Amino acid sequence: MSEMDLNRFETLVAAYGATPSRWPEEERDAAEAFARTDPRARALLAEADSIDALLFAHKAAEPSRALHAMVVEAAPRKRRLTGRARLWWSGLGIALAGASGILAGSAATAALEPISANVQMYTHDEVPALDYSADENAESVQ
Amino acid sequence: MIPDDPDGELVRRVGEGDVHAAEALVARKLPRMTALAHRLLGDRTEAEDVAQEVFLRVWKSAAAWKPGAAKFDTWMHRVAFNLCTDRLRKRREVALPETWDAPDPAPLADAEITAEQQSDAVGRALASLAPRQREAIVLTYYQELPNREAAALMGIGVDALESLLARGRRALKARLEETDE
Repeated sequence: MSEMDLNRFETLVAAYGATPSRWPEEERDAAEAFARTDPRARALLAEADSIDALLFAHKAAEPSRALHAMVVEAAPRKRRLTGRARLWWSGLGIALAGASGILAGSAATAALEPISANVQMYTHDEVPALDYSADENAESVQ
Repeated sequence: MIPDDPDGELVRRVGEGDVHAAEALVARKLPRMTALAHRLLGDRTEAEDVAQEVFLRVWKSAAAWKPGAAKFDTWMHRVAFNLCTDRLRKRREVALPETWDAPDPAPLADAEITAEQQSDAVGRALASLAPRQREAIVLTYYQELPNREAAALMGIGVDALESLLARGRRALKARLEETDE
């Protein structure tokens, strides 16, 4: 706790008034202790309190609604897309959707391909003769 | 970001374009800035111009705001204070009439004085103070800045601030007693 005497207390109260919360933090405890214990402090505080009351009788004007609206209107906002930018992004979206459709189609085709890949295609003349020997062997076994 | 800066998070969101954060900052600070300018300039219209200018600077600076030693509120006070002192300087340069900051000679009604009349009387007494005394009182009492912040804003030491406050309070009381008589 800092040192406090009548001289400093008088200066403190003359400058900051009678409310301890307005006194400098580092001197507040010492000043409050002085106020409790020194009878001369009471008159100083009463004098300061009357000036405080005058000061706080003053009410400053509230900001007008028009000012409030203008200030809020000027505030920065997250960017919104302009008409042209929206069109550009829509075009890009459509293009991407088309591209993904093509990719999906290719993927589906690729998935079916193993089945068709095993089917050999022949012209009429090239059709090989059927070999029934395997079936005959099967029957002979029975 | 200063860990105990109560406005730090709000300012960060304002810088990201968050309109709700901007509205919250306006609700928190616009009355404070308007009151500061009103008490320093003694003119509501000019006070609103200053408050608007302060917020235009806030909007421009929010995205790049990198707190150093000062809190955001202190920075706003510095901007507003400088704008006000610039205006006061220009007023002196164009030699405004002497009556600008003179107390209203009309006496107050004694017993039936209303709160509004009393507020007006204190406002006139404040306006009649020497500019540096008025600045010290406004920053310390109405804006509730800690003494070191108020002194730093005014470019003086704490001892000088205390002297201005004490003289300002005495002068204010004397002016109000004069108008009461």
